Amino acid sequence: MILRLFVPASVLAVALGALAPVAAQEPEAPARFDHLLHRRVFPTCVSCHAGAGEDPEQPLWPDPATCAECHNGTDVERVNWQPPAEPRPSNMKFVHDLVPLMTRETPEGEQELTCKDCHLPADGTWMAVHRATPEGCLACHGTGVEHLAEADTLCSTCHLPLHRARGLAATDVAAFPVPPSHRRPGFVSASGHGAQATGTSDPVASSCTVCHARDFCITCHVNAPETPAIQALEPDPRSRAIVVTLHAPASHAAPDFLRRHGPMVRENPGQCSTCHAQESCLVCHAPSQRVSAALPASGPGRATGARPVRRVPESHGENFSRRHGPVAATTPTTCAGCHVQPDCLTCHRPDAAAAPGFHPAGFLTTHSASAYARESSCSECHNVGSFCQQCHQTAGLVSTRALGSGYHDASRFFLAGHGQAARQSLESCTACHVERDCLQCHSALGGRHFNPHGPGFDPERLRRKNAEMCVACHGQPPPGP
Amino acid sequence: MGGAALNTHPTLVGAAAATLLLAHAGAAGAQGYHLRLDTRVQSVAYRGVAIDSIPVADTLQAPGRGPTTPDGFAVVCPPNGTYCTFFRPGPERSAQPFTATADVTVWGIGVPGLSVHGLGRVGWDLSGSDLWPGTDPAVQLLQGYAEYAARRGTARLGRQVVTSRFGTTGFDGAGIVLREPRRGLDLRGYLGWGLARGAALPVTSPATNPLADFQPRSRQIVAGAGLGWRSSSVDARLDYERQVDRRTKGFVSERVGVQAAVRPLVGVSLTGGADYDMAAGWWGSAEAALAYSHRVAQAQLGLRRYRPHFELWTIWGAFSPVPYHAWDAALALRAHRRVTVRARYERYAFDNAEASTPLFQAENDGWRWDVGGTVTAAAAWTVDGAYRVEYGPGAASRGVSGSVAYAPSRRLSVRVVGAATKRPLEYRFNEAVVRMLGVDAEFEPTSGMRVGVTASRYDEDHRRPDAAAYQWDQFRLAARVVLDLGSGADVRGLPPAIRLLPGGRADR
Repeated sequence: MILRLFVPASVLAVALGALAPVAAQEPEAPARFDHLLHRRVFPTCVSCHAGAGEDPEQPLWPDPATCAECHNGTDVERVNWQPPAEPRPSNMKFVHDLVPLMTRETPEGEQELTCKDCHLPADGTWMAVHRATPEGCLACHGTGVEHLAEADTLCSTCHLPLHRARGLAATDVAAFPVPPSHRRPGFVSASGHGAQATGTSDPVASSCTVCHARDFCITCHVNAPETPAIQALEPDPRSRAIVVTLHAPASHAAPDFLRRHGPMVRENPGQCSTCHAQESCLVCHAPSQRVSAALPASGPGRATGARPVRRVPESHGENFSRRHGPVAATTPTTCAGCHVQPDCLTCHRPDAAAAPGFHPAGFLTTHSASAYARESSCSECHNVGSFCQQCHQTAGLVSTRALGSGYHDASRFFLAGHGQAARQSLESCTACHVERDCLQCHSALGGRHFNPHGPGFDPERLRRKNAEMCVACHGQPPPGP
Repeated sequence: MGGAALNTHPTLVGAAAATLLLAHAGAAGAQGYHLRLDTRVQSVAYRGVAIDSIPVADTLQAPGRGPTTPDGFAVVCPPNGTYCTFFRPGPERSAQPFTATADVTVWGIGVPGLSVHGLGRVGWDLSGSDLWPGTDPAVQLLQGYAEYAARRGTARLGRQVVTSRFGTTGFDGAGIVLREPRRGLDLRGYLGWGLARGAALPVTSPATNPLADFQPRSRQIVAGAGLGWRSSSVDARLDYERQVDRRTKGFVSERVGVQAAVRPLVGVSLTGGADYDMAAGWWGSAEAALAYSHRVAQAQLGLRRYRPHFELWTIWGAFSPVPYHAWDAALALRAHRRVTVRARYERYAFDNAEASTPLFQAENDGWRWDVGGTVTAAAAWTVDGAYRVEYGPGAASRGVSGSVAYAPSRRLSVRVVGAATKRPLEYRFNEAVVRMLGVDAEFEPTSGMRVGVTASRYDEDHRRPDAAAYQWDQFRLAARVVLDLGSGADVRGLPPAIRLLPGGRADR
């Protein structure tokens, strides 16, 4: 009888033990029955826990009225103990009904399972009742290792899949203990939890199903619909109570990862699609949808995907705005990975009403220093006529009459020796002067007939390419060879 | 008249085509669109000079000084001339340019991969003076094209811009890019009626010829081709472009350029390129740079050659512009998690111009360097400072600049900027000194909307040893509102490049 009492009690204790952390979070329960205090009163377990005996039709808990037989306020103070209204939520498969069918191996041979096997300490102290522990179950069912380190296939021996453990709340799920395997380096990788999940003959390892459901996997897995193991899990939103954070794998920290990740995607897009959706690529590779085409778009049934932080590549370091031209000309498709042409035209076709952008504040005053030696090509973004000449015209800087040295007054002989300055900074000259200014002297048709042609001048080539150019000074194209 | 009609024809065709496509897109119930409206207004003032003259007989000649006007202006008197010229300080002028730029992309219009793009700008000067460059003509179409994009190629039709070693070339026409991804090859070709350099206007536009100089009567035909090759460690590209005057059949420009980039090690790159002016028969610009990029250090050593490029419908190429050759070095160090320092130096020298005279010799070489640093003082505070010196032909400058930025969130940033610069000229007595203090604030009240204001005070002093010295102090104000409108909620909150992406996200 005692044993019969112990068995159901042990089952109850196992269930409670599995949920110990959960219980710890709940409000304090009514006063518990102190078994040890009553060790001289009750000789058997089933005297109170009749349902744990051979007759499962009997209630598992005693009637509080039986307590009042002693706790009547006269002999012993009253107590307000009440049996639980509902069974404790659990994901245990075990029910006390099975106890009569259960046996265990002992040195004396096979014996029936009794209450004390699970609920009394090893020394057998009577009524020192404790909740059944997993170790008690594993004494028969286990392989001799710690509960959470047991073989994956064993979990389902005692535990229900999460989606069937309807009594558990999300908070219960969140409090599940973490197996040591989950803390091993590399567990997050495909060779870790992936191999564990698919390493059995089942579509997904039953050990996974105890704590997890499909919704949990969708926390990270963009490729959930394409992953049979994930699809083999039932959906259950409670599984998201186990919070995981997506961390970039070690490969992503490699110094050259940014450069190499493109070929890696092309070689094995499936690997990337585990954590990345098209939106992951679009964070940076917005203009090039081809880049992200190999990956699925986030949506129902998938994770949203890792969202990389869009950052300036290290190649875009200091002064990149000044030196980006050659790079952009060499690898325009690389630029197009992140940029669209309106980005370029923000500076290359500047807005008349925009405050300084590419140039520093106050550049209007100091631009002559940069313009003379062309730190960057002004005409790449500014049309000489509609920008430079128009502004200089308003400022009174353009030539309006026969040339003299009026403006260039730092030297009396500037006009006589302007040739060097002109050939060095001809673009600057054209911001204020037009061709007719120069033709006053540099024309074969009139003026002083000064020859403007200098080093590198190839008259035959220019005549061949555009004879109209020669006409401006020579009146007619020079005769060919 | 007929020529004018011909000149405007491509623009009208392009604009009409873009309008029709946009209309069709709307009528067809496009799956997606994105519209970005950028509206800005700025109040600026500027001041120049005004030429004047005086009879030689009325000038004054003080001992040890040149001739001046009675009111103290230094004058220049040509030999044997009867009048001397001088420049008085010009009137202070002000302008309030207002611009609104619309960038629209429409996709999902029945054919997968087909999208329509438009980038246009309207602008005028609220002061009515129409003096500030960039607001004439009032309506400008920067881009307007239909694009069909597939894995193996992209085709565009309409007003577009191609970028290459030769810069940004605008035209009204067709362009195509074919790709062979496995071999890393791409082949590009384009053909159309060209636009003027540095503008969204044809060369026949009066706005590009304010001084009434010679101007082509017809738009040039632009044709170009390029071949690119990409691999994991080497990129190379060959480009060719020619522009031909439709009326004379003469070349306006013909260039070929080559570019390459090599990445032998992680963080190390060697980039170089050169272009040859086939029309003029000389090498144009070229450069080579060895760069190292790392989280804590960035360094670059470069060689550079620059020669300006002139179209052959001007005579400037016949004046033999000479190139300069330069070397430069730059270094940026993240000395601390919150501190970055930087330095840059460049020295250059022009080729022999073969035009020097004993009477006047201009500087033919120069240098520029700057040092600076950025300190992220706290999570939301960034302080930056720099010192810059430049000396070379024509002008020199020396100055400091600094800024303090406060950005407590992505939705708000405030930046205070200050600078002081001295800029002497070589060919004119003029040593301008400018001190500037400004503040810029940007706020994002709602997703998809940003507003910003900038206010600056400039104290500018044009120093000269005569009466032509003048001051040009002013306040400048600017304001902007940027709106992003899209057909999907997913458009909001994404980086600008995503919001602007061509083809939208229809290719999913």
